[in-house]
Amino acid sequence: MRQSFSEWTKSGAPWVWLNAGAVAICLIMVIGLLSLIAVRGLGHFWPADVVQGTYVENDHSVRLIGERVQTEIVPAEQLRGSGVTVAENVEEMHRSLMKVGNRDHGGTDFIWIIDDFLGNQEKPEMLFTAERREWGNFYGYLRGIKEEGKLVASHDGYESNPEYQILWDALQNRIERVTSIQEKIDHIEKGEISSINYELERLRLKERSLQLKEVVETAPYQAITDRRLELDAEYESLQSELLALYKAINRDSITAEIANGQVVEFKIASIVRAFLPNDMGLGGKLVHYFQKLWEFVSTDPREANTEGGIFPAIFGTVMMVLIMSVIVTPFGVVAAVYLREYARQGFVTRLIRIAVNNLAGVPSIVYGVFGLGFFVYFLGGHIDDAFFPEAKPAPTFGTPGLMWASITLALLTVPVVIVATEEGLTRIPRAVREGSLALGATKFETLMKIVIPMASPAIMTGVILAIARAAGEVAPLMLVGVVKLAPSLPLDLNYPYLHLDQKFMHLGFHIYDVGFQSPNVEAARPLVYATALLLVIVIALLNLTAIQIRNHLREKFKALEM
Amino acid sequence: MTSEAKTHAIDISSLQRDHQTLNLKEENLALEVKDLKLRYGDNEALHGIDMLIPKNRVTAFIGPSGCGKSTLLRCFNRMNDLVDDCHITGQILLDEDNIYDRSVDIAELRRRVGMVFQKPNPFPKSIYENVAYGLRIQGVTKKRVIDETVEWALKSAALWDEVKDRLHESALGMSGGQQQRLVIARTIAVKPEVLLLDEPASALDPISTLKIEELIHELKKDFTIVIVTHNMQQAARVSDYTAFMYMGDLIEFGVTDTLFTNPEKKQTEDYITGRYG
Repeated sequence: MRQSFSEWTKSGAPWVWLNAGAVAICLIMVIGLLSLIAVRGLGHFWPADVVQGTYVENDHSVRLIGERVQTEIVPAEQLRGSGVTVAENVEEMHRSLMKVGNRDHGGTDFIWIIDDFLGNQEKPEMLFTAERREWGNFYGYLRGIKEEGKLVASHDGYESNPEYQILWDALQNRIERVTSIQEKIDHIEKGEISSINYELERLRLKERSLQLKEVVETAPYQAITDRRLELDAEYESLQSELLALYKAINRDSITAEIANGQVVEFKIASIVRAFLPNDMGLGGKLVHYFQKLWEFVSTDPREANTEGGIFPAIFGTVMMVLIMSVIVTPFGVVAAVYLREYARQGFVTRLIRIAVNNLAGVPSIVYGVFGLGFFVYFLGGHIDDAFFPEAKPAPTFGTPGLMWASITLALLTVPVVIVATEEGLTRIPRAVREGSLALGATKFETLMKIVIPMASPAIMTGVILAIARAAGEVAPLMLVGVVKLAPSLPLDLNYPYLHLDQKFMHLGFHIYDVGFQSPNVEAARPLVYATALLLVIVIALLNLTAIQIRNHLREKFKALEM
Repeated sequence: MTSEAKTHAIDISSLQRDHQTLNLKEENLALEVKDLKLRYGDNEALHGIDMLIPKNRVTAFIGPSGCGKSTLLRCFNRMNDLVDDCHITGQILLDEDNIYDRSVDIAELRRRVGMVFQKPNPFPKSIYENVAYGLRIQGVTKKRVIDETVEWALKSAALWDEVKDRLHESALGMSGGQQQRLVIARTIAVKPEVLLLDEPASALDPISTLKIEELIHELKKDFTIVIVTHNMQQAARVSDYTAFMYMGDLIEFGVTDTLFTNPEKKQTEDYITGRYG
């Protein structure tokens, strides 16, 4: 069964191979991309073993404690060039990046070492890791616990004994105590005090607005002053409560021995959690892993975004996309209905259609510039003049914020919705429209009751595409409302609950910020992957929700293709 | 030409029909068409039609494809208004009022003159909502009124027994014949005076067609029916009066029995005997 080449070509087999190959390459790339960010991002939360060893370089020997983050092979030549003494017959050597932590004592928390120079490697079970609210991780041996400066428990040496167990348990108990106090402090500071501040600010604006309106009666001013006094009193009492809490939280401290043998002391209040990585079983590590993962998605960032969670960024992204959808859907649908149903089809409508399609191709940063120039400065400035004169010169809407970001992205994605909706409207059979008209419905009634509901799956397709595009957009957001760190969420319990004028955090911008603007690049790198993975997941979830809605609508109107 | 030749296509006496003597001059009129001309752009499709449609009778329009019978039908409820470039002159009187008068409310006219299309076009809603649609459009909100009307319309359309247990299921799950009867029920639910049927059975199987024909027979007690059909047997079976159209002209109009057995015009005879068309 020999086949000539031309016959083989004619049979279409190479064409099929080509198609299948293209699909395979796409699949491999997508899977590769997802697994890369998943592995790099999710690996970050695994509690790595802490290595202790003696590092000897140029007859200079130090004790080293840290986590091995990555290992690579370097040519010996390159090392010799940088002044490292390498034996003659060696071609290449292993080099590792160690996370040594203790930034408050060593200056940096990452160092490169040459593996062969690290002798006596061991993983002592007593080594503990403490995640702290500032200065990054701490690695060392726990030596003692002090309460109000007085030693209450202590331990020496590198062997575990009952005395050490007591010390360790005491530490865990005290961390728990500190955590609960910290929660109270957060509640007061971020909840009650911030509400008071918010209300004080509103009172100030109210007073200013009365002054601007040149109100002369004293009664409204008096009401404001009275309320302010009340709030001040409330604030005072909260302040004293806080003071007590701060005193309580700062009661305990620990002493610990670090790598160079020095014993250092720091407050337990600064510890988020302490654990013994080398003493953990698989189960313990798994529990720890999921705790860290949960912390990542549910808490606020710490330390210039390099530690802690990214909850505000997830929240901001979802919020922005939802507001954008709420704006873009009716806007796009109404425009498409006019273009397809009411406008006279001709040269002008064709021109408009071409323009709309081209609008989708404009680079997004251009929308950002437009949003900043028109929405923020022009519209926002005028809104401030008209409605918020009391806040001047501080801008209310005349500054980048959630609303402007959502509107800018709505503008960016409206062509997609228009095109998809028009497509859907054209596909509604004439017979169904005529059926409705023949029953005495007007064109408007036919549109509202029959045509638009029937076109709703197509409209949802447009919205899905819009969400996919908007959720991943970063460039224009940097100009119209995204910040590195927002002090509060755009949705809270203070009237009017949804703060459209506030700046917000966004996953896409967070990736850029953590990855490239961070003071601690090595610590931030895994977070870039983790955040990227989360961004993909958030977009996928938003899309899946929209697709679910579309499928539901399709099911409802399925026999359309008659 | 012998009389056998004339009835070559249709043996009118073998069809089950009410043998009543009809006379157009004695009928009450539902619609009166006066010198109706219609053109699409520069292309005139109807060249001055004059015609009387008797009340509570079935009038069939027959003729070859493109003769203008559907176009004429669609003039009765102004469906042609939806077509760009369509210009109409002349008059159609419904109860003495010209429906092409400026002051006419088109939605109201279409309620009085209902229409059923060639292909069943139920809305993607439940059976109940399909029938209730016209009522809701008119602003009827009382559930009791709607319930009663839906039941009456479905019974009149001989569909009630088949669907009474699944009124709230989608209408799109019904068979083609059921869908067409649903569309008829939907149309009569708003109690129109005239019912226009544009080849209502052409997309259906023979059994469904039979049901629709029986239905037409029932419905003519309450409504004036105008039916366009390609199928001459069908026209002969269901109609009291028949109009033969050709190339945008009304060639012959008369009592169905007479038109099929003893046409006045040569063109009519040629068409019904199958010479062309």
